[in-house]
Amino acid sequence: MKKNTTTPPASFQRFFRWYCHPDLLDYIEGDLLEVYGRRVKKLGKRKADLKFIIDVLLLLRPGIIRSRRRQLTTPYGMYKSYFKIGWRNLLGNKAYTLINMAGLASSVVCAIFIFSFVRQHLAVDNFHPYPERTYRVVTELHRDVVAYQSNVPSPLGEHFRNDYTYAEKIARVYTESDALITLRKENELVKFKETGGIAFTEAAFFDIFHFPLLKGRPATVLTEPNTAILTERMARKLFGEKDPVGEVFWFQNRFPFTVTGVLQDLPANTDIRSEIFVSYPSLRTFDPWLSDDTDGWGGIRDGMKCYVVLKPGVPTAQVEDVLSAYVKKFRPTSKNVHHYKLQPLRDVHFNAQYGGPVAKSKLWVILIIGAFLIITACVNFINLATAQVLRRSKDVGVRKTLGSSKSQLFGQFMVETALITFAAIAFAAMLAYILFPYINAFFQTHIQIDLFSDPTLLLFMLGVGVGVTFLAGYYPAAVLAGFQPVAALKGKLLHQRRGGFNTRRTLIVAQFVIAQVLMIGMLVIMNQMRFARQSDLGFDKEAIVMVAVGRDSTRTIATTFKNEIARIPGVEKVALCYAAPSSNIDWGNSIRFENSTEEVNFRTSIKSADADYLSTFGLTLVAGRNLVPSDTVREMLINEVMVRKLGLSSAEDALGRHIAANGGRMKGAIVGVLKDFHDKSFHEEISPVLITTYTEDYSNYAVKIDLASARSVLATIEEKWLELHPDQLFEYEFLDDSIAGFYTAEETSLKLIQTFSLIAIFIGCLGLYGLVSFMIAQKTKEIGIRKVLGGTVTHITWLFGKEFIQLIVIAFLIATPIGWWGMRQWLQDYKFQVPLDAATFLWAFGGSCFVAACTIGYQVLKTAGTNPVKSLRTE
Amino acid sequence: MKKYQLGEFEEVVILTIAVLNNDAYSVAIKDEIESRMARNVSMGALHTALKRMEEKGYLRSYAGEGTEERAGRPKRYFEITALGKRAAQYARDTREELWRAIPKSVWQVSMGG
Repeated sequence: MKKNTTTPPASFQRFFRWYCHPDLLDYIEGDLLEVYGRRVKKLGKRKADLKFIIDVLLLLRPGIIRSRRRQLTTPYGMYKSYFKIGWRNLLGNKAYTLINMAGLASSVVCAIFIFSFVRQHLAVDNFHPYPERTYRVVTELHRDVVAYQSNVPSPLGEHFRNDYTYAEKIARVYTESDALITLRKENELVKFKETGGIAFTEAAFFDIFHFPLLKGRPATVLTEPNTAILTERMARKLFGEKDPVGEVFWFQNRFPFTVTGVLQDLPANTDIRSEIFVSYPSLRTFDPWLSDDTDGWGGIRDGMKCYVVLKPGVPTAQVEDVLSAYVKKFRPTSKNVHHYKLQPLRDVHFNAQYGGPVAKSKLWVILIIGAFLIITACVNFINLATAQVLRRSKDVGVRKTLGSSKSQLFGQFMVETALITFAAIAFAAMLAYILFPYINAFFQTHIQIDLFSDPTLLLFMLGVGVGVTFLAGYYPAAVLAGFQPVAALKGKLLHQRRGGFNTRRTLIVAQFVIAQVLMIGMLVIMNQMRFARQSDLGFDKEAIVMVAVGRDSTRTIATTFKNEIARIPGVEKVALCYAAPSSNIDWGNSIRFENSTEEVNFRTSIKSADADYLSTFGLTLVAGRNLVPSDTVREMLINEVMVRKLGLSSAEDALGRHIAANGGRMKGAIVGVLKDFHDKSFHEEISPVLITTYTEDYSNYAVKIDLASARSVLATIEEKWLELHPDQLFEYEFLDDSIAGFYTAEETSLKLIQTFSLIAIFIGCLGLYGLVSFMIAQKTKEIGIRKVLGGTVTHITWLFGKEFIQLIVIAFLIATPIGWWGMRQWLQDYKFQVPLDAATFLWAFGGSCFVAACTIGYQVLKTAGTNPVKSLRTE
Repeated sequence: MKKYQLGEFEEVVILTIAVLNNDAYSVAIKDEIESRMARNVSMGALHTALKRMEEKGYLRSYAGEGTEERAGRPKRYFEITALGKRAAQYARDTREELWRAIPKSVWQVSMGG
């Protein structure tokens, strides 16, 4: 009791111990305590404490402080020995080292890839001058369901600029994708197809977006009609090395543009893809409707964007308020479906609703998978290292008896872990460097890595190294350092450390949980993809080629050419249409039904097509008849969804009723009802569809061909087409390819998850291999005795097998709900989805059992088959 | 050149060690100086002086017993080496020589003044 009250301030005592020279420490500390004890009696605790502190501080002088030089020299030799011993250990256990390195390296390669991938996406369009105040004006369309559009009516920007002062800068951009660009050189015509398209751009665009001009005067480059600026790359592509300024190119063979400036090439981290920017006033001749400031309010054209930079401090809600007034003012006759919103620039890349390519949640999933891969590799490390512990127990015992402290031993094992980790990271970096071009090609990404000149990446790898060293090294090092030297030297650890084995089991289970979750994910995605690809879409998609109608075709030219195609041997059927039944392109419209003056509250997809459309695509009628051939809109076909949406009792009921579409410009009676077909990807519900003979809209020949002669047929069509349109590019696409294109994002996810689960399984196998080697080493004698007493090979194999099956079953029980929940979330994206059936999960289970059996099988069988004499003789 | 390097405080310490004879360890030395000369001795100064003199070879130390009030920490006893004795003697001799060299009149005047 008394002792407790008379201890000096602990922190100062510790401080003293820290700085005092070790030779003097005990004596002086004794003195301090003695004097302190005396003072407590004489002066009381408070004063004694104070004096103690003063004494400690006064002792802080050169003769008493431990010398630095001695501290530096001694551990140097020790660290050297750590490295040497570590190195020898690595070389001595090549299998162990290899397994660890391989596992770690493969997960680090993944980590580098994921890091670069995520960073690249986070860096998209982050270099513009007003990141916080730049917005894109977007439209929400509130019908029976809310649809989202990143486009706005073309006059909106101009009105907003003139009516309000909220914005500092406003720029309208209309992008026409897949532009046909031609150059006229004497008698020759050079054609280019630019997938990035051509952008009709207001000059303010370049104040909002940081794309610096290399040639030309910023103030004037894009003011005059028919002027253009190109990126350096595009200029070189079109005009070679000569100065592009003043040169002329043609767009769609009809609109000449004079180059007035050259832009620096667009960086990789922007979503702006167009490399040809032409002045906004040029739109007047190209598309009078779009450039008209009153008519333009009539609808929303794809590609018509409006960017604004708000003045500092202007709240977005206020701007959205004034924008909403535009709907009543400029669209008085339309149903009030438009709601204009401001989307922050930094949201553009991540908002899938508005066509952002990558949702943030997906990046998170990928990051988490990456973290899991690293964790599995760490788990391996821990497993194998603790297995090694037994082999090294003598080493540790000797070191401990010779006076190694716990922290020294701990340090030694951490150094060894660090050695493996950093070697693996260096190896992974090399591997990544070699593999990146292939990875990019495989996943269709454009990730660049600069291993040595990229400080963030280097920092990331360093961070991974340190993190992994601690994650993977801490537990084994703590176990090793904690040995009782006597037990370690006597080799009694086997019996002492049963508990350690349980930790290792838990880790193996964790690994298998991760691998199985990934496998379940992979299987579900594969199922869904197969479902999307092989389900009956309600029409034929095989052997149909969509050939673009020449741009300057008139109705008669198109019809003539259609008949010409039909005569080519090998062509079975031809139809003229706007788009295939299932297509990304569609024309949404609000219709009026019967005599109602009010538009219906849903969006109708109008598919203009001629009378051959049904037979070419094998669409089936449930009521009524096909359209009769016509050059004007006279009759209409609708689908069953439309029948339901119109509130009609049956398909027959719809026949003979009237529909007015496109603001009353298209009128006709319903003559037939089509069985529903998928007009979009499986992500979306089937929309109400209206098919009519609106010839102005025909832009494709749908050609059903005999696949056996596909090549020659296509060649013939191309030849004839080019005869007709010598100044244009012949374009065609197989329908099944373009439908497969709906799922490119899924294809990439599938590839990613396949790769990741393969790696996870690979790492898991390495872990299993390590565990089984350890178990066999531990049970050699037991197996020998069992065999002597009559145990068969099957019996002994089962001894191990049941152990692992147990682990996999436990892992499966944990992985199933996680996988089920995760994949249900993923399937939410689909309106048409495969059921999550038991088979998927059983496959994942069976798969992991199989892989586990393969991994451990050889070793177990080998051990089970050994002559017991061998195993029992060794003592 | 000085033959023996011995500072004022060091001289006091070495003499105190001599006074304490076989009982000279740090706290005892400190107490002795404080009681005899009525001056405060800090632990830091004392230990530095002891260490320095040991390095110079004037002192020799050995570990003693640990007591309860020292929480088992050993005492460190100091002895004067032959060299230390010579150094102390030398210091004393040089002082006395100086004393003797003072002319009587000067001393008295200065005392009186």
